[in-house]
Amino acid sequence: MYLLVTRPKHDSVTHYLYYWAGLLVDEAKKKGLRVIDLEKTKATKKKLESYLKKQQPDTLIFNGHGSPDCITGHNNETLIEANGNAEILKDKVVYMRSCESGKVLGPISIKHGAKAFIGYDEPYQFWTQEDAIREPLKDPLAKPFLTTSNQIGISLIKGKTPKEAHADSVAVYKKEIARLLQSDAENTFLVMALMWNMQHQVCLAQK
Amino acid sequence: METEVITEDIINLVIARLKTIPENARLSVGNSEQMQVADIIDQVRNQTEIGKQVIETQLFFLRSLSNLPS
Repeated sequence: MYLLVTRPKHDSVTHYLYYWAGLLVDEAKKKGLRVIDLEKTKATKKKLESYLKKQQPDTLIFNGHGSPDCITGHNNETLIEANGNAEILKDKVVYMRSCESGKVLGPISIKHGAKAFIGYDEPYQFWTQEDAIREPLKDPLAKPFLTTSNQIGISLIKGKTPKEAHADSVAVYKKEIARLLQSDAENTFLVMALMWNMQHQVCLAQK
Repeated sequence: METEVITEDIINLVIARLKTIPENARLSVGNSEQMQVADIIDQVRNQTEIGKQVIETQLFFLRSLSNLPS
């Protein structure tokens, strides 16, 4: 596997995604995989297109804001657009941790030849704790959300198929939800948004 | 997202549930910055796009109660 990760860090949402996606970069490097890390200001359309053209990574993990037809990078610059440059996803396995890109951009990328697309067909949500922003990896409210979505990347890094990675993630969601529903559990309110994300996580693949 | 009539009863139910969430919790949804519970309640009351999203999430959970993992 040759992995490319985008992880901008320009606002409070991308701040969290940046650190949690960093765990995937670390894991891939630990496994000896080649990794292109488009972090912070490097998460631009120009750099992305250049790396995809010249180095041809096969697995792409995007973190950032999105909409039904696009995924963005640093300062919300559009990186990939359904009616723009979606053909650059041809032959790639793609995971987009962003809002709604599974609604239009996902199916369009499959139409353009992407091997698989995992994303969300509604807004992706997560809770955080006010005083934990300096240490996002230790935030007890964010952890259930970003552990469940990180599982996709971890499973892909382990060499599993996109469908298996999606299934592994759903299994972790169910485990987290069951844990939070126990009578002595704290922060049961997290279950609602976890169930939402789980239900709206889509895995599309070539037939 | 499903389109449905959002009655005053539904809004009150959602707000009552939101009031049980700790004050130091922040929600990230859509392309907004992280929001405090009080801000979320305002969004629900005013039925903004984010408010409707929060309502839909709560209703989705309530409808799913019979299928929860155990």
